[in-house]
Amino acid sequence: MSSSLEQLSIQNPGEPDPNSDLSRDESYANKRRIRRGPVQEAWRRLKSIPTAYVAFWLILFMISMAILSAFGIHLTAYNYDETSLQTIANPSWSHLMGTDELGRDLLTRIIYGSQLSISIGLVTAGIALVVGTIYGAIAGYYGGTLDSILMRGVDIAYSLPDLLVMILVGVLVGHGTIGILFALGLVSWMGTARLVRAQFLQLQHEEFIEAARASGQSTFWIITKHLLPNALGPIIVALTFTVPSAILAESTLSFIGLGLSPPACSWGTLAADGWRALRTHPHLIFFPSLFIFTAVLSFNFLGDGLRDALDPRTRVKSK
Amino acid sequence: MFGLIARRILWAIPVMFIVASATFLLVRIVPGGPFDEDKSLPPEVLQNIKAKYHLDRPVHEQYFFYMDRLAHGDLGISYKYVHRTVNDILANALPVSIELGFAGLLIAICVGIPLGCLAAVRRATTVDYLCMFLTTAGISVPGFVVGALLIFVFGIWLRILPVALWESPRHVLLPALTLAAGPTAYLARLTRASVLEVMEKDWVRTARSKGLSAQATIIKHVLRNSLMPVVTVLGPLTAILITGSFIVEYMYAIPGMGRFFITAVTNRDYDLIMGTTLVFALLLIIANTLVDLAYTVLDPKVRIEG
Repeated sequence: MSSSLEQLSIQNPGEPDPNSDLSRDESYANKRRIRRGPVQEAWRRLKSIPTAYVAFWLILFMISMAILSAFGIHLTAYNYDETSLQTIANPSWSHLMGTDELGRDLLTRIIYGSQLSISIGLVTAGIALVVGTIYGAIAGYYGGTLDSILMRGVDIAYSLPDLLVMILVGVLVGHGTIGILFALGLVSWMGTARLVRAQFLQLQHEEFIEAARASGQSTFWIITKHLLPNALGPIIVALTFTVPSAILAESTLSFIGLGLSPPACSWGTLAADGWRALRTHPHLIFFPSLFIFTAVLSFNFLGDGLRDALDPRTRVKSK
Repeated sequence: MFGLIARRILWAIPVMFIVASATFLLVRIVPGGPFDEDKSLPPEVLQNIKAKYHLDRPVHEQYFFYMDRLAHGDLGISYKYVHRTVNDILANALPVSIELGFAGLLIAICVGIPLGCLAAVRRATTVDYLCMFLTTAGISVPGFVVGALLIFVFGIWLRILPVALWESPRHVLLPALTLAAGPTAYLARLTRASVLEVMEKDWVRTARSKGLSAQATIIKHVLRNSLMPVVTVLGPLTAILITGSFIVEYMYAIPGMGRFFITAVTNRDYDLIMGTTLVFALLLIIANTLVDLAYTVLDPKVRIEG
């Protein structure tokens, strides 16, 4: 009895009793809640969606595979342009995915091709981010007639079939990597623009924006410091969906012979090569297709997952 | 409603004019022409060929010449398919593509909409997750992969279906399935979202609480109301089908619009590129007009004035 009294007297009256289970839990929870920023919160929620979580690691794996390959480190025993006498070999232990008509190891070429395919996807998302954000920000911030005109343009651009536009523009800009990126950028910024505009219109009348205006902050500062960070979630989601459509579009263009062509090596050109040998050596189209499919599927699942993880409405529901 | 149609037709004229001008500029300002590959041609012959197709004139003269012909409904001559006019090629190719497109659309509607409903009704069950996985896979898989897979299984392995050309109804099956893969997944996802939204509505709860069975509620009250947004995607769906036709017609060697468009671009066959593009634009305009009409017919709340 006396010892417990002693303990009590030592203790600072403001502090909760460290021996009480309840208070310990509470302070622990408090600390955790403070430490967990929006990124950790989103990550925690993403982890609870199995498809998105698996997709995330698959994407990370593919990106690191591409980066390693850019430094000349392929995960196989061959070089991407190393020929051998074993031409169009079926998959075996020495060539896991077989070889092509020049005896080059297909797996090595797919890994090498991932550099181009994945970077095309990511760069397109980058273009969509920059162009779409600026366009949408202007439309959403200024509103009115300018907004109507700009958005009418987006509507029209949106209703055109992507591939049709890309093929026509491809005539003009050529079929190199830069040309493809230009064509891809041209058809992929509209989603982001719409999103940013919608977010801006919605946020315009929030009190913190009014406060920022009242305190004399510049337009640029309001847009970059107050409006954009609040629109970040949907933008990230939209960009996650831009990557797979760019990968798909590139491979489709290359497949029909209006995209990249050899010596450029992407998953699309590999699949196009394989198509010609479908009757006799189906593995040549099967494996590149498998990689395209896996990458696109992963990005789509990650996008779905991020949408749920970053959407404040579903956040309330899950708690 | 006739006012609406009339207005849309009037609108279509400037739109088609812009599309024609833009495409014209796009394909003509590039260096290189349709006869570049024929290097063996003597310059005099090349000059004669160019004169025949008016390619030796300045671009603006060519433009006025083309527009004048276009106004009279003449789409020009193909450079590569000798002695065939673009009108002639398109008259043969368009029915093929429309047949293919409708076959694909039919499959997409018959599979996609029930699949979406099923997923929505069995929300958050294995059935739903499976449907969602399948549809995500459906939008993630490139058309050429579906095509290659179908050709391999049914044409090369089982040998039960023809894999090229466009001759009998049996020839339609594989291309139509290939074309339908994307739109099916798209429609299923859309239907699911739409049905889920309608199922939350008060009048659905009322119907249920009045003792109507779950099945009857869904068929009579939910489905009808959730098909509205599904109808409105006919526009984007047409775009998807056009895009799909490029790949499908290329893979199955079908003499349709998509295939001619691709070969025209590869060959720099100017008039044929323009002809196909204009027909695609027209198809899109028609599809979007139909969507607006469907709006007014299906939803009495929406009456587009006109």
